[in-house]
Amino acid sequence: MLPSGWEVTTAVILAIVSFPVSLVLTRFFMQVNSKRGIIGIDVHKLTKPRIPEMCGAAIPLTVILLPSAYVLIGGGNAITMLAFSLVVGSAAIVGAVDDRLKMRGIYKPLLTLLCGLPIVALGLLYPDQVYNPTLQVPIFGSFHLPVIYPLSIPVAISVTSNTTNMLDPLNGAMAGGVSIISAALLIGVLITDPAPSIVFLYACLLFSMLGFFYFNRYPSRAFAGNVGQLSVGAALGALAILGRTEIVSIVAMFPQIQNSFFFLSKIKRFTEHHALTAKPTKLLDDGRLASSSDPNAPLTLVRTLLVGQPAKESEIVSTIFALFLISGALALITMILIG
Amino acid sequence: MKRLNQRAVALQLLVFITQWGLMIIGFGILALIVAPLRIQSDPSLGRYFDASAKAMIALVLSISWLFIWDRQVRLYFYRKKEALQS
Repeated sequence: MLPSGWEVTTAVILAIVSFPVSLVLTRFFMQVNSKRGIIGIDVHKLTKPRIPEMCGAAIPLTVILLPSAYVLIGGGNAITMLAFSLVVGSAAIVGAVDDRLKMRGIYKPLLTLLCGLPIVALGLLYPDQVYNPTLQVPIFGSFHLPVIYPLSIPVAISVTSNTTNMLDPLNGAMAGGVSIISAALLIGVLITDPAPSIVFLYACLLFSMLGFFYFNRYPSRAFAGNVGQLSVGAALGALAILGRTEIVSIVAMFPQIQNSFFFLSKIKRFTEHHALTAKPTKLLDDGRLASSSDPNAPLTLVRTLLVGQPAKESEIVSTIFALFLISGALALITMILIG
Repeated sequence: MKRLNQRAVALQLLVFITQWGLMIIGFGILALIVAPLRIQSDPSLGRYFDASAKAMIALVLSISWLFIWDRQVRLYFYRKKEALQS
């Protein structure tokens, strides 16, 4: 057995492998999906380029393959890795089905509720090895939730996956934002209580996101699709539970929470963006984006950033990254306060 | 970063820090006041009633938290009519 410090260092070094794996898989999906006609249109560009969709499938594949390899070479907790892989895999399946069949908006939150069940089931089979129902609170200690905690796991996975799904309106916004969140949480885990499995999973998520971000950044050459967005959100939710970073993850996801909350508070139902009659933003003749003047348009985070005046897509994405840096810093402070 | 973005980021920073502070206070209320309460002492079904009552209190706190978030964003970003601004 390696001493704990070495185990953590080895976990981070091994997780770096997910960057080239994700890069290669994204490139593969770009070629295959282009040939098969799985294409989306980048509506925020004047030229309306056709971009291969569902390339985000590279991320769940990477974050399932790498932990499996890590367990096979004797590192990490097999039950933790299995729980994580089942959650991410099932969310990816829901996303892929939605990408191909274009389900109604209500089905995604309902089906992603089921994605949290593997953690609940494994938690019942292996008590105290999967999740800990004692919620750690910054400054004020902790409290035990033996009944509510397991019941709220499916809801947590559904919320994180769908809220991540909703904040990917512009090139690289989701991939870059989640990379920042993962980096902040990885640093937090490293400076507080580094369990090698959790360090590995956070590092794996970070580097696989960066691999995908290379092709997804402005101007995008690959779109994530629901398969990527839902699985990444589910990965964040699963890690929050498995790594005992529940409250910290909520703080890190402030930009997503704001975006989803204002969207739902205005629209008052679960619906797909393409099904909206009033869009939150409009494309101007000079290629800049402006806030919609339609009073029925949803109040998304992007629209909030455009209230003052129109801006280029790349500027808005940079601003979103700045917001993720702020929420990431607050998450890090929260983690230090929890101790 | 452009001036527009700086203003938007500064206002969002204000919203996030306020919500972060309120969240910590909310969890403090839950940890120090709500969690130790024994609403129903019956060991069997009472346990579930106790959990449900506490979950409802947490839900009310969460809704209040989101309501404050909503008011803040509307106040900072949507105070004037957009049509006049753009």
